[in-house]
Amino acid sequence: MIRKYIALLRMKYVEMLAYRLATIVWMTGAIVQPLITMAVWMNIDPSQSDAFLFYFMAVIFVERMTSAWDVWELDREIREGTFSNYILRPLHPIHWAVAENIVYKVLFLVILAPVWAVAALFVPALRFDMTGGQTLLFLMALLLGAALRFLLSYICGLLGFWITKVTAVYGVLEVISLFLSGRIAPLSLLPPVLQQWSIFLPFRYMIGFPIDIITKAANSHDMLQGFAIASIWIVVFVIALRWIWKAGLKKNQAVGG
Amino acid sequence: MIHVKHLHKSFRVHVRQTGWLEAIRSLLNREYRLVEAVKDISFTIEKGEIVGFLGPNGAGKTTTMKMLAGLLHPTSGEITVGGFVPFEQKTEFKKMMSLVMGQKSQLIWDIPPMETFLVNKAIYEIDDRTFQQTLDELVELLELAPLLDKPTRSLSLGQRMRCELAAALLHRPKVLFLDEPTIGLDVHTQEKVRRFIVDYNREHETTILLTSHYMGDVTALCDRVMIINHGTLIYDGELDVLTEKLAPYKRLEIRFANIPAVPWENYGEIVEIEDGKATLRVAREKVAEVSSHFLQHFHVHDINIQDPPMEEVITRAFQEGFNDS
Repeated sequence: MIRKYIALLRMKYVEMLAYRLATIVWMTGAIVQPLITMAVWMNIDPSQSDAFLFYFMAVIFVERMTSAWDVWELDREIREGTFSNYILRPLHPIHWAVAENIVYKVLFLVILAPVWAVAALFVPALRFDMTGGQTLLFLMALLLGAALRFLLSYICGLLGFWITKVTAVYGVLEVISLFLSGRIAPLSLLPPVLQQWSIFLPFRYMIGFPIDIITKAANSHDMLQGFAIASIWIVVFVIALRWIWKAGLKKNQAVGG
Repeated sequence: MIHVKHLHKSFRVHVRQTGWLEAIRSLLNREYRLVEAVKDISFTIEKGEIVGFLGPNGAGKTTTMKMLAGLLHPTSGEITVGGFVPFEQKTEFKKMMSLVMGQKSQLIWDIPPMETFLVNKAIYEIDDRTFQQTLDELVELLELAPLLDKPTRSLSLGQRMRCELAAALLHRPKVLFLDEPTIGLDVHTQEKVRRFIVDYNREHETTILLTSHYMGDVTALCDRVMIINHGTLIYDGELDVLTEKLAPYKRLEIRFANIPAVPWENYGEIVEIEDGKATLRVAREKVAEVSSHFLQHFHVHDINIQDPPMEEVITRAFQEGFNDS
């Protein structure tokens, strides 16, 4: 398996180099929405400017590190029939997607982390101090978030076996997640009902939860609860994915001649 | 190597109506129709055979092939390929077969074919030595050397198809399914691909099932053909027998300096008589006699004897059926 991953990572890296410009646009493009949202919030409550600055910079970082695009790829591949080529090979197609995610996210990390470090030299609001334990918890939450978003996106993509243009369905989920994951506003600013919901839904653990750890908004009770609920969602998603994969293969029409 | 018994495949298809009102109505009340793509097909293919799978568009060729490769789940019936049930998707099964689809590339589009080869090497767990040997052989046979490092998207269709074959053969499959492998290729490249398939089959005793629209593929490659129409197998046997049975004629084209005034109908069925050229359909057993007659008694510029085009033979097969086979 390790050899297979090395080969896939290498190939995805070469492929990414072929898409240099797109990769850059893709990375910088995603920064615009959080920046605008940040500007709006700073305008609403200037006294909290520093907190918003830090929060939304963290959103940019966490959002990029957990972003998932697999639904778009799967939707296209299943609809156009090229997905057959993955089914034919003796390796589950999901590994191709995992490898791709690793390559792109390592690139994001390699670019975003130094940018943050340099920016923190000039902007005091970006500085933070965390113990080794906190950093570890943050990284774990980040990994869980990435896994959750990836799994949800992949599951939706596999629905392409039943529905053409499944991205429409995913679009609805994205809008819900925009609010409940903490991308539009820190979760503490949401109405209490939504806050309550967000604890039990998976979206918070995709973005908001790692940020709560880095901003120290989450106490140890919150963290314990967060990790537990996020882990339950991972299990639910994995079970759903396996089931949908099996059912999908039966349903597969392997379109195109 | 391949056993198929009473294979069926039907699809539930949403019936779409044209027109705005109908479209709105169909949103509320979807109508479905059951399309039987493959109806009760049975056949056996032995190890090392090359079999041509013929039939018009939509006859069920590709559907059958996709079931053999494990991509589609049969509605009913039995399939085993090399002892495996394709749809169970066993790793060992996937390692012993390959499906090449003329229209669906497995090569990764924006990077060179060599990258796909390396990924396949890892996925199929091919050891370094075997990989190098197989690759060298394929590079030579398919003349790939200058193509390996160019992005796939910049290759011509023929170049890409050759790389496609190589990618499919790296793990030395025992069974090879070729779905329209020469589609869209020019005559020269078609010829190259065909020669490669024949050589490869001879060398490695690979069992090959091939679909094609080009009769040239079938006549060049296959001794045995299966003809499928409307999802049913209507002929399974030797190509020569098929030709003789359906086309007991040859096409005779003679060019003269001056076209003689002879009772043409005595020699065969007249296809066309024009300035300096006569085209006749002559019974097989009379071809030698008729052509030597003209060569001896008239000033003949050129003479050309051909089997009737396979298209014609097959079309006739579809029209008249195979009641006696």
